[in-house]
Amino acid sequence: MLNSFRQSMAWVHTWFGLVLGFVLMVAFFFGALSVFDREIDRWAIPETRFEPQPMPSYDNLLKQVFADLKPHPLDMAATAERVIGDLPAPDTMPMVSLFAYTTHRDPVLRIGAEFDIPNKPKDPSDDHLHVHGWATIDPRTGAALPDDQLKIGSNWFYPMHYSLQLNWKSLGIYVVGLAALIMLVALITGVIMHRKIFKEFFTFRPKKRTQRSTLDLHNMTGVVALPFHFFFAFTGLVIFAAYYYFPVSGTLLKPLHDRHEVIEAEHTGLPHEEAGVPAELASVDAMVAEAKRIWAERDMAGEVGLLMIEHLGDANGYVSIYRAGSDRVALVGEGIHFKASSGELLREEPPSDPVGAVNEFLTGLHLQHFEHWTLRWLYVAGGLLGCICIATGFVFFVEKRKQDHAKRGLQGCRLVDAMAVTTVTGMVLAAVGMLVANRLLPENLPGRGDWEQWTFWGVWLLSLLHALWRSAPVALARSNPAWREQCWVLAVACVAAVLLNWITTGDHLLKTMLLDPYWAVAGVDLSLLACALISVYTARRLARTVEVKQGSRIGGVAYE
Amino acid sequence: MSNAGLWLLAAACSMWLATNWLALSLPVHWRQVFVADEVAPGYLRTLGWLALAVSVLCCFKADHPSMAVLVWFTLLPVAAVATAMTLSYRPALLRAACPAFLRAR
Repeated sequence: MLNSFRQSMAWVHTWFGLVLGFVLMVAFFFGALSVFDREIDRWAIPETRFEPQPMPSYDNLLKQVFADLKPHPLDMAATAERVIGDLPAPDTMPMVSLFAYTTHRDPVLRIGAEFDIPNKPKDPSDDHLHVHGWATIDPRTGAALPDDQLKIGSNWFYPMHYSLQLNWKSLGIYVVGLAALIMLVALITGVIMHRKIFKEFFTFRPKKRTQRSTLDLHNMTGVVALPFHFFFAFTGLVIFAAYYYFPVSGTLLKPLHDRHEVIEAEHTGLPHEEAGVPAELASVDAMVAEAKRIWAERDMAGEVGLLMIEHLGDANGYVSIYRAGSDRVALVGEGIHFKASSGELLREEPPSDPVGAVNEFLTGLHLQHFEHWTLRWLYVAGGLLGCICIATGFVFFVEKRKQDHAKRGLQGCRLVDAMAVTTVTGMVLAAVGMLVANRLLPENLPGRGDWEQWTFWGVWLLSLLHALWRSAPVALARSNPAWREQCWVLAVACVAAVLLNWITTGDHLLKTMLLDPYWAVAGVDLSLLACALISVYTARRLARTVEVKQGSRIGGVAYE
Repeated sequence: MSNAGLWLLAAACSMWLATNWLALSLPVHWRQVFVADEVAPGYLRTLGWLALAVSVLCCFKADHPSMAVLVWFTLLPVAAVATAMTLSYRPALLRAACPAFLRAR
């Protein structure tokens, strides 16, 4: 009975793991990159290579920046399709709300606003009709940064982590959500399958047959980082739970949700509707100072992360100030709200109840807004261990079957192997290729960000074609030379990215590490060089035919 | 280096010792490192667990409790992989983690 139970668990682990492993690989790798998304942004947009800035003064700087902010042409076009009649001229639309957002790692400031329009929607249930405007500014001067430049870290690698950039009907988010669920299943079934967890906790026999060593590595990276893998898959699900599994507040229970918003507004004293009476805005800087004083009183001194103003220019307007949660794991905003016209304190958000606190901790654990560089690197290490675990899973799958498939003339292993090449070396190649393109494309090329994105997909597609083209030996129970070849290309691309960064910006490692330290850029360069070294080592290792030697056996575990 | 940094370093060191000792307490790894037909003294495993506890304390000295827990849990796999890789490629290095007085019975 136990035996068949274990076998059924093995079946689930193998096949579900294989099918969704490709997605998990993407989620883990780009998740690991996302830990340093802001630093990658700075590498990719050299104009932003200055020190992170706190939220600038609203009264002296942001007020003017928002006065100059206009509805974005992209959102104008999108909204025009949803409304009856023509939209008014963008200059005449009144700004009704705004936000400014930053973190302790952002040199630049993201801002956005909503503009009111008189048009009726085509679909009556479409009840949130505004035109949006957004920009990224230099918080020291208020100057807008070119909007055409793609923030490769935070706007490409990070969304790739949770949405695969498949935005049609949010398909990617659902696929990643399913993969996270399967990840939890894979962890549990994996533990059930692995009989010698403690005995072989530290076991990795690199000189044994590929099948044995990959299984060792698969087991080891899976087991030692089990809590990490479990918590990241689980908290990822928690963050999107309302989206994946209970989207009822936006669908079935929409009327109830809307009613709740009104009642909540009465309860909290934060007006839900405009009064229709124009009003001036009091000093926001004074409100920020008061909010900081209140946080300090609660022993949670900190900077402002998010500043929002609702019902702008109206007597019911209010200013909400949220803390940048940089000193603890839990994602706590500790929001403080003020009446916009007078600066009078309207509401201090109370400490969370236990359920809320657990949710904030789990969310914060995953989204890591905290300031702790060691922990950030440990997260990267955990993410990469996850990648190794998944990649060795693929390799083991192929190794275990390829002899048999070769005898029976099947092509299954060949396909799986090509997919594995594409999702392991191919994916890293696509990411590094994008960085190379970022440094090669002309500065004023129109739609530069789009070209970078096409490079990413193009390189990835090429790696798939290459892997398929070279995969014939797998069907003869040999190994695919594409692994080795893509490792070489990857090593060259990594070094090229570092050199191009030096040539095009003058920021070489000697400068960014010693002469004028700037660790955000140095860190990306060093990581690229590390990746190049690992690729060269792997490529050379793969070139060597591993002789299967009969090693001495000690206590049932064979060592060379 | 700040105080917190020193405590973190201490946490990492004791974690690394802990995983080394726990690995050496397994007969197969002991024989790999010391090439002897003996097994580790029984207290080595206890020492390993103690070192794990010490690393918890160091983490709590370094950071806010919620952060300390995460540092500890993410440090563990890194130390364990470091130990496993040393065992695979340079097992003799682990002799340093287990000097003669710890081998005495």
